[in-house]
Amino acid sequence: MRFDPKLTVIAAALLAAGCAVSPEANQQLDQARASYQAAAADPAVQKYAQTELRSAAGALADAERHAKDGPSELIQPNAYLAQQRAQTAMRTAEMRHTEQTIAGAGEERRRIQLEAREREAAAAREKARVADDARKEAEARTAVLENERLERDKQASASAGTTADVKRLEAELADLRAKETSRGWVLTLKNELLFDTGGSELKPGGERALDNLVQFLEKHSDRSIAIEGFTDSTGSKQLNQSLSEKRAWAVKAALVKRGISSNRIDARGYGPSFPVASNDNAAGRQLNRRVEIVIDPS
Amino acid sequence: MIRKPLIPLAVLALAACATTDPPAEEIGAARAMVAQARPLADRDAPQQIAEAQAKLSRAESEMKKGHHDTARMLARQAEADAKLAWTIAENARLTRTAAEVQDANRALREESERKPQ
Repeated sequence: MRFDPKLTVIAAALLAAGCAVSPEANQQLDQARASYQAAAADPAVQKYAQTELRSAAGALADAERHAKDGPSELIQPNAYLAQQRAQTAMRTAEMRHTEQTIAGAGEERRRIQLEAREREAAAAREKARVADDARKEAEARTAVLENERLERDKQASASAGTTADVKRLEAELADLRAKETSRGWVLTLKNELLFDTGGSELKPGGERALDNLVQFLEKHSDRSIAIEGFTDSTGSKQLNQSLSEKRAWAVKAALVKRGISSNRIDARGYGPSFPVASNDNAAGRQLNRRVEIVIDPS
Repeated sequence: MIRKPLIPLAVLALAACATTDPPAEEIGAARAMVAQARPLADRDAPQQIAEAQAKLSRAESEMKKGHHDTARMLARQAEADAKLAWTIAENARLTRTAAEVQDANRALREESERKPQ
């Protein structure tokens, strides 16, 4: 609706003529009232567009006053102002609402970013935890493998050690001039070396002959031995038996004296039994007069 | 309705307007409001801003003729029209901005939720 000076002229003419208000002016006034009432009833307008609403109210009051008291040509322009201002008030309230929507969206954006950061942080923590678990598991696995390897090495070196021990023992026994037999390693000492003829006391040379054996027994404390005395067949069997026993015991006593535990040593005499050579000649009889040290194979 | 004898009276009414001060303040306010509204309103409220501009021009020409009351009323209407035009246009702009921000948020949320955990 445009304010037309011609209408003003007509309105002025009508007023001057004392006629009723023009239909256009009435229509405009009705519209202005409706617009104003709608704006005034809107809480958002009351809250956000009070200034606009007040200026619309002012224009509407002017229009109403002119409708009542004249001049009637001022009804329509003021009603128009009231209507435009009422609409501006409504739009202003709408605008504030839109601004709040934008502000809310800004907050929403910050919240989304914060949540994203928190999610990323949680993901990073989870990733670190998984990596840590994997690392720990790998370490545990490595430790198990390492233990297994060490165990294998230990067993290997133990068996290698056993093999080496056996080799060394064999070498030592060979040094003692022991011979391997079905009964075990047997060291044969000639009676001439250990005793005087018919005697059963160890000669100093006999003591020295036992040096290597003593060393061996000291080194291998788990080994037991049997000392077996033998004679040739010359003379009484009973005498020979007794002599062979005494000589075996003498060797045992010498070993015990030098620190070898007696319970590791069995001493027996067999007299002329188990000859290793013929008693018909001197060389054979010499071989038969002997002390055998049998080293347990254990 | 008898028209003929009324015209001299209408002229008298307008002549009475000329006795008031020129509406320089109203016209200044209308010019300022039109200038403020035009850049925005050309796009989103072209009809309202054109109306405001037309009324402002007429207000200026009426003032030159000494029709101060008519000029004042036209200036007030021009200002009200320009203000409504600006409000409509600004509202449209804000609504677009709100839509853009909300779209951006939606995209941001989708993107952040799509990210591999």
